[in-house]
Amino acid sequence: MILHPAIIALLVSSILITALVLFAFWYGVKILRFWDLRSGSSLQLDLERRTYLISTVLAYVFGFQLVSLFLLIYTADSLSTLFTGAMCAAGTFNANDYGYPLLVLKLINFLLAGLWLTINHADNRAYDYPLIRKKYAFLLLLAPFIVLETFLQARYFLGLTPDVITSCCGSLFSANSSGVGADLAALPAVPTQYVFTGIMATTTALGIAVAVTGRGGYAFFLAAGAAFIMGIASLISFISPAIYELPTHHCPFCVLQKEYGYIGYLFYSTLLGGAVTGMGVGILKPFRSIPSMAVIIPSMQRRLAVYSVLFYASACLLTLVAVLRSNLRW
Amino acid sequence: MIELRDIRKVFNAGKPHALTAVDGVSLSLDARAVTVFQGPSGSGKTTLLALVGCMTRPTEGRILLGDREITSLPERFLTDVRRTTFGFIFQQFNLVRGISVLENVMLPAYPLGEHHTALKKRARVLLDLFGILPRESSKSEWLSGGEAQRTAICRALINDPQIIIADEPTAHLDTKLSREFMDIVGRLKTEQKTVIIASHDTLVYGSPVVDRVITIRDGKIEAEGR
Repeated sequence: MILHPAIIALLVSSILITALVLFAFWYGVKILRFWDLRSGSSLQLDLERRTYLISTVLAYVFGFQLVSLFLLIYTADSLSTLFTGAMCAAGTFNANDYGYPLLVLKLINFLLAGLWLTINHADNRAYDYPLIRKKYAFLLLLAPFIVLETFLQARYFLGLTPDVITSCCGSLFSANSSGVGADLAALPAVPTQYVFTGIMATTTALGIAVAVTGRGGYAFFLAAGAAFIMGIASLISFISPAIYELPTHHCPFCVLQKEYGYIGYLFYSTLLGGAVTGMGVGILKPFRSIPSMAVIIPSMQRRLAVYSVLFYASACLLTLVAVLRSNLRW
Repeated sequence: MIELRDIRKVFNAGKPHALTAVDGVSLSLDARAVTVFQGPSGSGKTTLLALVGCMTRPTEGRILLGDREITSLPERFLTDVRRTTFGFIFQQFNLVRGISVLENVMLPAYPLGEHHTALKKRARVLLDLFGILPRESSKSEWLSGGEAQRTAICRALINDPQIIIADEPTAHLDTKLSREFMDIVGRLKTEQKTVIIASHDTLVYGSPVVDRVITIRDGKIEAEGR
């Protein structure tokens, strides 16, 4: 293990997050088994008091969970100087077998935690806990992912040794290599640009439709998810080469470095923000029929749709600026 | 109007020094009536009053305000109910020192965001009604017992609550002021307010304006009168 302040912070925080999520998990099981709002039993009243505390704790825990993704990437990037062959976070994540699975899981948990926070926010705005069982059932689903993330993170950091020779991003995200990164790098730039534009335009149109009419929540959920995946694919396929002005350099991590004005953080923030808020519109849709949610959810959906459109519009604007300012032409 | 169903309140529940302050109380309190909880010190009447006024939550049981069940409400909704439905008069009056009588009266209305000029006008009307308008600029610590009491009543009424809750309101008042207080209670009753008082003062529960006296002992209802 490398003793680095950020590694210690990430390990300690993930252990704390896991402990708090497991604590909430225990109460989630009790709520799913015993919750009965018609009862005035001491157990029910105790659960009502506890859920207020637990949802507040979890809101902070998952809030940190969102931030910790960026801390992990930043840490991996700053550690790259310690490994032979690594030029950026891409090489650091490749330093052992746990790096990339950890990163993928961290991304999944970011989206899931964001959706849990959306449901929790909706539930807290109503007076009669209408989504309590749903949000704790979702927590029971999410908890194993959080535990697995802590396990992978511990294995990854504990297994890091400075004398490891790793691959650089140039070989990991090269059209001539194999793997998902290489496949994305090999996507033809111009058709990918058309698909990216098409998906972003569709997502924006659907988002505006949700914001104006309140309809099309599920379609927008799918579009927002597709826009996120397409955004990542486009970053590797043509946005990164435009920023580096090098047609063979597709690394999605070098854009996080100072040399490129840390622009990668803006890209990832807007894409992740657009995905969470956009998918949040769809995840709330089935609860519109609950009487106490009838007013709350449509207004939340409209607001989330606007946020999602703004996030994705910002990602498109960044892409446009990167492509237009670049001397690289396809 | 207010219904209590099998209410229990245990302080320090599950600990060796647990104390059951209210033990299985069920009752209905009528609207637009004056009800007094009467009983010795430590009988649980103040706790019962706090439960009715949403200042504390029961350990067990439910409380209904009209058709609405209020014990399960999340805190921010309960705060809203407390602020708009109840007006509180405390034993020590609990006026804020260092600020004027007028500001003390206006204080509970600030979170509702009413325009300051309109609020000030309303507060002055109340002070005038209770004969303390000339003292509106005085600091609360300069008031006599009777003036402090009337200021506390004005403060309880500033949000025009349906229900007034008073905990031992005459504990620090002489006989004349206590009678004056009960006259004010009578006036509130004619204005269709519901008044709930906890007191062991005979001047209170013996007053003709009181519609119902509920005797509490050891956290249970011992007797009911009138």
